[in-house]
Parts: sequence; C-alpha cells; structure tokens
Amino acid sequence: MLEILVLAFGVTLLFASVTNMLHSLIRILVVQGLILFAVTLLKSTQLNWLSFGFIALETLIFKTILIPWFLSDTIRHNAIHREVEAYVSNFFSLTLMSVIFLGSFALAIFSEQQSGKLFPLEFGIAFATIIKGLFIIIANKKLITHLMGYLIMENGIFLLSLAVGGDLPHIISLGISLDIMLSVLIAVLFIKRIKSTFDDADSPGHLRED
Amino acid sequence: MLPIILFAYPILASLVALILDRNLKLELLVLLHALLHISIGIYGFLNRGNLGSMDDLGLFMFLITSFLYLAVAFYRINSGTEHALKAYRIHSIFLMLFIAAMDAACLVKDIGLIWVFVEATTITSAMLISFENSKSSLEAAWKYLFICSVGIALAFVGILLFVLAQPEQASLHLGKIQVHTLSPFWLKLSFIFILVGFGTKIGLAPLHFWLPDAHSEAPAPVSALLSGALLNTALLPVLRIDRIMRNAGMGNLAQDLYLVMGFLSVFVATVFILKTRNYKRLLAYSSIENMGLIMIAFGLGGVAIYAGYLHILGHSLVKAAFFLCAGNILSIYHDKHHANINSLFNRNRTTAWLWLLALIMILGFPPSPLFVSKFFIISAMISQGYILPMIALILMLAVIAWSMMRISLGMCCGENQNKARLPLWTYLSPTALLLIAAILGIWLPAFD
Repeated sequence: MLEILVLAFGVTLLFASVTNMLHSLIRILVVQGLILFAVTLLKSTQLNWLSFGFIALETLIFKTILIPWFLSDTIRHNAIHREVEAYVSNFFSLTLMSVIFLGSFALAIFSEQQSGKLFPLEFGIAFATIIKGLFIIIANKKLITHLMGYLIMENGIFLLSLAVGGDLPHIISLGISLDIMLSVLIAVLFIKRIKSTFDDADSPGHLRED
Repeated sequence: MLPIILFAYPILASLVALILDRNLKLELLVLLHALLHISIGIYGFLNRGNLGSMDDLGLFMFLITSFLYLAVAFYRINSGTEHALKAYRIHSIFLMLFIAAMDAACLVKDIGLIWVFVEATTITSAMLISFENSKSSLEAAWKYLFICSVGIALAFVGILLFVLAQPEQASLHLGKIQVHTLSPFWLKLSFIFILVGFGTKIGLAPLHFWLPDAHSEAPAPVSALLSGALLNTALLPVLRIDRIMRNAGMGNLAQDLYLVMGFLSVFVATVFILKTRNYKRLLAYSSIENMGLIMIAFGLGGVAIYAGYLHILGHSLVKAAFFLCAGNILSIYHDKHHANINSLFNRNRTTAWLWLLALIMILGFPPSPLFVSKFFIISAMISQGYILPMIALILMLAVIAWSMMRISLGMCCGENQNKARLPLWTYLSPTALLLIAAILGIWLPAFD
C-alpha cells in the first residue's frame, strides 16, 4: 500500500511539470496533502498517539485544506493572472523531471547499500520532490508560484522525515515547524498584497535610486 | 537560573510593552534587556561553564551579540519619536524576541533545536526589516523570508540525512553523537545540505540575494544586528557540524567547500560593490565579502582558524558601528543614494569622522582586528601554496577597498554650511564599538 501511495505522489510531480495553470498546481498540492495523510496513517505504529494525532491533523487540515484555500483566496484577492508564467517550456520541465527521477532513484539505490534501514522508493520520490520544488522556485516568475514550489519542496521534506522518523520520531515534529514559516510567508503575501513579481535591484537599469 | 531569566525577561517585557504609552519607555525596556544580556554574558565569561549548557563557542557568539545589542539599545534612545506608538511597540517586542531566539541558538547543543531557533530568528527579524512599511522594505522582507526559508528547509534536509548517517541510536545532541560510527557517505551528503542551507542565512554566494536588500532596507540599528550578530548565529551550526566533520576525518571536504564558497562570496561582493549606488547596500556587500573571508579562513585551517574567529569578532563590532553611522547619515540627508550625499564633514563632523574610521577599520588597516586576521589568512595561503588564489584575493580586496573609499570619501567632501545635529547616543554607540574593536586589534584575544 505504501508503495502505491508513494508512486502516486511521484505521479503528481509529473502533472506539476505539464500544467500551466495556478489552480492546477493548487489541486496537485491538495492531492499531495491527502497522500501524506494516508502515509502518516500507515506509519502510525512508529509514532506515539500524541505525535500521530498532531501530524495527521496537520497534514489533513493544514496541508490539504487551509493552505490550498489560502492560496486560492490570495490569487483571487490580489487579482493574480491565472497562468504559471514559467521561464521554461512544459517539454523542458517534463524532461528535467524525468532526469530528476533518474538521479534520485540512482541515489536511492546507492543509499540502500549504505543504509539498510531506508526504503529506496520513498527516499527516491522524497528527494525528487525536494529538487522539483527547488526547480519550480527557480524556473518561475511569480511569487505565488515560488510559494507553491516551496510547498512542494516542503511536502518532499515531510515525506523524507517520515522515512527517517522511525529512528528519531521527534524529527517529524521539528519538520512541521517549517509550516510556521510557510504560514508567515502566506500571511505576508495575503495581507500586504505585495506585487506579483520583483525587479532585480542590482540588474542594470533597475538600480535603486532610494 | 540565569538562562531562565534570560528568556523570561523578553517574554514578560513583551507583555509589559503592550501597555506602555510612550516610545521612550519602550526604548528603556529594550535598554534594560540589553543591560541584563551583557551582565549575563560577562558573568558567563568570568564563570565559564556556569551558564546552562553554553560552551565557549556559544558564549563567544553570545558576548558579541551582547555588546552589539547594548550599543543598539543606547543608539535607539530618543530615536523613535517620529514613529507611531503601535508600530514602535511591535518593533520593540520583535527586537527582544529576535535577541532571545539568537541567545537560544547559542545556548542549545541539539542540532535540531539550533535549527528551530535559527528559523525563529528569520521570522522575528523579518518583522524588524519591514518596520518602515514602505514598498521596498516589504519587498526586502519578503525576499529575506522566502530565500532564508528555502535555505532553512535545505538545512533540515541535511539534518534528516545526518540522522541517516548514524547507524544506531540516532541523536541530534552534539554530546551524544558517536562520531566514529558515522557513515561517511551520509555525513558528506548531510554536510553539503547543511552548509548550503545555513550558508544562505550566512549570506554566502551564490545564495546571498536577500542580504543586500534586507540590510539596506532595515532601520540602521536592525542592520547592525543583522550584519554583526545574526550572520554569526547562522554560522554557529556550521561550526558545530564542522567539529564533527573534523573528528570523523572528513575535515578536508568541509575545508574545500568553505574555500569555494568563500572565494565565490568575495568575488560576488567585488563585482556588486563596483556598481552599487546605495551606501547601505555597499555595507551589505561588504558583509558578504567578510563572511567569505571568514569561510576562507576556516577552509585554510591551522593558524587561519584563529584568524576566522578574530575576523568574526572584528567584523561584527566594526560593521555594526558602520551601519549605525549609516543610520546617522540617513537621518541627516534622508537619502540612501551616495551620489546625492556630500559635504558630510561640514554638515556633521563627528559622523563624518566616525564614518571614515569605520571605513578604515573595515578595510583592515591597523589597529583593526581585521588587519591581523587578514594578515594570518594571507600568511596561511602562502604557507599552504595557494599563491595564485592569494594574488586573486588581494586584487579583489584592493578593488573593494578602492570602491568603498571612493564612495565614502565622496560623501564626506564638499561645501555646505547647513549644520545638522543628532542625539549624543548616536555618536557614542558607534564610538564605543570602534574603540572596543581597536583595543581588541592591539590586545589580541586568545581563543581556545
């Protein structure tokens, strides 16, 4: 069952590579949140009931419902154009995602030889998700897309912490504090309504006069 | 008991701040915190090992923060009259919480907890950066929050991999890690992520983008703390993991990475200093340069490690003084564009002298401690056979020095008889910091 969920998580990354719409990315985040909730349920034996309850609620309410809702609301309120506006084409993005998968699985297979306590599929997908999140941040213009990239990266980190958490359960709770950071970022974007892209202050022609 | 007081005060003072009705009272509340902070720091120095779990490295960073915080707290007196009470109250509360988060990062020995507190410094300081509530300060705060969040997330990946590096009984507590059992593969991978992650917060190239914006948009006392204290706090976990790397026999990888990131940072600073027009951004790029030099020092190892610690100390004191002088200039001219600023000598002679003294000391002329640290770095490079990199480094430092002198002298020269007066504390704080730096540059402290 865990294998199917983790593979489904990997498929969401392929969808993220071919979509052009912000709302599709939000839907991908909802699906990822649900998968992480299901993975948490499967890993319930590794955690004490308090940690389990907290993490399960966090994935279901925060990652799956609240964050996507806030993102949709921010797009609507700030009148952000609905397209992703990436610097690269979908074809390039998909090809790169395949390369990321290849690299991550190579690392995962190698890692299995280094550490017997790791499930390579989970590690490979988690690692690929972190890299994909970083790529979305780098390859897109809009701040809201950067935020979604950060969210995808954070989901990958959460998956990785679930994979590692058998050894040190409190590390999963530590990782959740990343969501506090995320909440602050969303609050700034939502309340302050800063413009959707920035100029580079040090690029020629954009040097600040203040 | 003392660590409890250290963290209880900012929490209680934050509650008290909510009912205070004047900006001056808020400033005195912060000043009291700074006095308490330095008293605890001096007590900790005189009675080593008696300040909770704080070790010498934590105490070193804590004391630097103490001196800077006290200077900043004095500098703020009577400076908040033009700000609205509500905004100034929030600013004062977050300033105390920011200091508390840095203290906690110095105090704890658990890598996971250090990570949490470094994350807390990001959130609290972002509120300080956006204090002016202008479009540019909001953008700077967002950029800072976002880029550092990505860095912090990468550092967390490094911590997860560090757990994997421990085959049995995984722990993040520095005293409980069994170094000889660590898996070399996972430790190396973990260190790369930790260095890149915390390196983002240290302001090392190529992840330095947030630093010039944040340091130039924040109010001067905040810039002083960001550059002088926060960058050191971000360096702390790297230095702690560095000890593990060295003990595990993988110091060479760490040193090579420090050298690459250090040189890249100095190079980036050189390029951007040449074209910057904002004198606060100039100081921010100088911070990138100096953090690069610190990494080069740790990368060289041996005697250069002493230079690294001395450089951390000297840079913190001098750069904080430099930023406070920049705050004085901004108060006089209300402009950050250096081309619009001239005749500082005529308008405010004391600030002009302090500005030039800070310039001389940050460039590493005697009696600055940076003179000694740079000398040791260059000596170590020669003795280890890094001749070409040494020549390149000297050339880059020369370009930075020329550019900073050209801009700073240009701001001081010119004719204008319209005198500007500033409160006494705005001179005393940078003077005290420069004086301490000069004393340390002559009487060189010993680091164990």
